[in-house]
Amino acid sequence: MSLVKKDAAIDRWFLPGIIAGLFFTIKKMLANIFNRKSMPTLNYPEEKFEYSPRFKGTHILTVKKDGSLRCTACMLCATACPAECINIVAAEHDDPVVEKYPVKYEIDILRCVFCGMCEEACPVDAVRLGPEWQIPGVNGSNFIYDIRFLAYRPALKGGIPSTVEDEERHQAGI
Amino acid sequence: MPKCTINGKEIEVKDGTTIMEAFYQKEVPIAHYCYHPGLSIAGVCRLCMVEIEGMPRTQIACNTKITEGMKISNVSDKAKDSVKWALDFHLINHPLDCPICDQAGECGLQEQYMHFGKYEPEMGQGKVKKRKVVDLGERVVLDTERCILCSRCVRFTDEVSKTNELGIFNRGDRSEVGTFQDKPLNNNYSVNTVDICPVGALTAKDFRFKQRVWLLKNRESICTGCSTGCNVNVYFNKGGVYRLKPKYNSDVNGHWMCDKGRDTYKHLNVEARLTKGKKTEEGKTTECDAGELAKQTAQLIEKIKKEGGGDSIGLIVTAQYSNEEYAAMFELFKIKLGSNNVFYWINNQKTFEAFDGLLYRGDKNPNTKGLLRALSKCKFDQTWDKLEEKIKAKQLKIVVVLGPENQEVYPDISEKLKLLNSVDNVVWLTTNQVLGTELLKSCWQIPVKSTIEKSGTYINFKGLEQKIKPVTNIVSGALTLTEAAALFAGDEIPFDSKTPVKGERVWNEFFHHRGDL
Repeated sequence: MSLVKKDAAIDRWFLPGIIAGLFFTIKKMLANIFNRKSMPTLNYPEEKFEYSPRFKGTHILTVKKDGSLRCTACMLCATACPAECINIVAAEHDDPVVEKYPVKYEIDILRCVFCGMCEEACPVDAVRLGPEWQIPGVNGSNFIYDIRFLAYRPALKGGIPSTVEDEERHQAGI
Repeated sequence: MPKCTINGKEIEVKDGTTIMEAFYQKEVPIAHYCYHPGLSIAGVCRLCMVEIEGMPRTQIACNTKITEGMKISNVSDKAKDSVKWALDFHLINHPLDCPICDQAGECGLQEQYMHFGKYEPEMGQGKVKKRKVVDLGERVVLDTERCILCSRCVRFTDEVSKTNELGIFNRGDRSEVGTFQDKPLNNNYSVNTVDICPVGALTAKDFRFKQRVWLLKNRESICTGCSTGCNVNVYFNKGGVYRLKPKYNSDVNGHWMCDKGRDTYKHLNVEARLTKGKKTEEGKTTECDAGELAKQTAQLIEKIKKEGGGDSIGLIVTAQYSNEEYAAMFELFKIKLGSNNVFYWINNQKTFEAFDGLLYRGDKNPNTKGLLRALSKCKFDQTWDKLEEKIKAKQLKIVVVLGPENQEVYPDISEKLKLLNSVDNVVWLTTNQVLGTELLKSCWQIPVKSTIEKSGTYINFKGLEQKIKPVTNIVSGALTLTEAAALFAGDEIPFDSKTPVKGERVWNEFFHHRGDL
């Protein structure tokens, strides 16, 4: 049994194929011209796609009400991180209630796989994956994000407040 | 010799053994906070509850002696239930700040909490707030809120260090551990209280917030702080060594070690180390590989030997290296170079016999006995005065110094450097950078491996030989003295001996810590 199919008579004529293809193209073109909403593509730099609010993009470090970092430098995110891209250096805080805080919190975004494990591991809602996804940069840009970028970049408008508040916890007697 | 049954297994124990000791002997896990094998029995934590057949209620294992035919279980429902409730009482006022707490990962309370899974607290009232971050002197920080009042630390200062600083103040749920009027806890054994603290109430300032314990790995070694040679666990990761903790050895240190010994890891880390060979000649310093410098030294030694014979070569030794290394070096000098000029550099002869009654000794070298043994075996008996004479008479053309690894205990280094200033060539084998060598006419510094990077035998003050294995690799380019001796003799060292040890590989966090979590 031969695997090669013999061409049908109609396939030997290429003109019908071309006409059929052109018909499809013209049909789509006319549909796009007269009904622009159904068009699947975007004019990218001017128009941007809106992802779901649960989209996991660039990291955010949340802040407390007074604007300081929520992170307690427990290193659970760094431990859970499969890409080992989080680098934290902890230090003693002057306030005995805060006790510990990160002096350095760096994410090597080129190593990050955006799995969201850091967000899951965090016991105090200090690190989140935000909705931003446009993180391009030219050669030589800094792809190791530090605290200033992660918590206080202009897009965050002064910091995202954490949902876990120490004072409330203390009042509740936890 | 009463016989008893632990969790269905029959064992025979000595007279007067408590149930807890039997559990320890048989390595059956049992929850406990206040019991510590090195301290007296307090019986305050009520966590080691066991069910004994025939007794109406559960009993504490730490303070109940075994009698003939006892049937003990800590896995029965009744025992488990009482432990669970004891745990719940501990957790009434214990704050939930594990993310901040330094003990997280090696915390007794955390372990039991995870084991019994009491995730939902059944206490309606809020927690009692107490003082946090209380400064207890040079080395220890106290958090009274986290304390579960097991009184281990109090018993330690009463019974072991006999300094009686710590006590429990106030009553009921306001009880606090602390020192009288927050006086500092400044004895030389204070960090042991941190080790035995089952929770994060006492933390060491030195290690506090430096690293989480689950990111560290530990291996056994010995402390090189003094001639006691305490057995330690070295905690390290790829960032270096973070702390030392005592390891139980009934012949040497028991359960404890001193605070000064805990500081000895600091000169092992790469920041303090000499990583490359350094050639200082007429004030100019150039760097090169350790092996390369050792080969150049070999050529220099050969040249000097041809010109002035073996007696123009000298060796100064300190008691901070292993027996094997002394053997290799002495063999080189005695047999291959034909030199008898081996001099023992003693750092603090006056305080050599000092002893604080517990562990800390005046002789701050880990291997004085080993060195003396090696010296007498090779019949090297020249004293330091002879060296000074010979240097002044310009009889020594080259001096090889096996410098101290722990330079802090050698306060006379600058004095000795002045003496060596009149020698033409000084080859200094050292783990750490030696200050003041640029003043010498010519000084070649060759980096050597520290105690935790090599295997060897050390003999402690009472003649006990302790063999150690490499813990980790910090300066990979450094040589051991055995390798240096081979290179000085003009031999090549096989490539294999440069790689740490067979089967040992460079510590990779990714492969290790995940398994432990």
